[in-house]
Amino acid sequence: MEGMELLSFQIISAVGTARSMYIEAIQEAKNGKFDEAEALIKEGSDMFVQGHHAHAELIQKEACGEQTPFSLLLMHAEDQLMSAEAFKIIAEELIAVYKRLG
Amino acid sequence: MKKIVLLCAAGMSTSLLVNKMKAAAAAEGFECDIEAYPVAEASRVGKEADVILLGPQVRYNLNNVKNQLPGKPVEAIDMVAYGMMDGKKVIAQVKKALGL
Repeated sequence: MEGMELLSFQIISAVGTARSMYIEAIQEAKNGKFDEAEALIKEGSDMFVQGHHAHAELIQKEACGEQTPFSLLLMHAEDQLMSAEAFKIIAEELIAVYKRLG
Repeated sequence: MKKIVLLCAAGMSTSLLVNKMKAAAAAEGFECDIEAYPVAEASRVGKEADVILLGPQVRYNLNNVKNQLPGKPVEAIDMVAYGMMDGKKVIAQVKKALGL
């Protein structure tokens, strides 16, 4: 597979897993399982960093004058990345709310 | 002929995996029909499927989809296999889920 396509998939796979974990963390907190929720947030954050590294590599290349060819797949990967980033904030806030309710 | 359904957010990223899986299945002589859909269509498209696989970005829906499709094998795609677009590894996961 071509380099860009593979890199896009690595981003989608890593940040997509992170996003799922953040949502699973909310679901655990909803059931009062706060230790599990915290563990999922941490695990998700590690995943997110992996995807972020792959993305940062592209940005650095572009900063060095090496243009990245545009593709819908890369845009989709960035979309997943942003969504995961936002979900972490929402998940942490919701877990705090569930804790206060519990 | 086994029917495999892949689910992700929009049916976009998994549709690329479908091609890789088809190539891997053909190489092994494993006859199957593989399609990708958005996870929102799980209950409709899952009814006809022998196995349903979820992409890592919609993995949090696993229990939800299982509840919608009682008795069907519903699994999350291995994250590394997905990231590497490893069709062969995902076909192996399908065969295992089907007990082949």
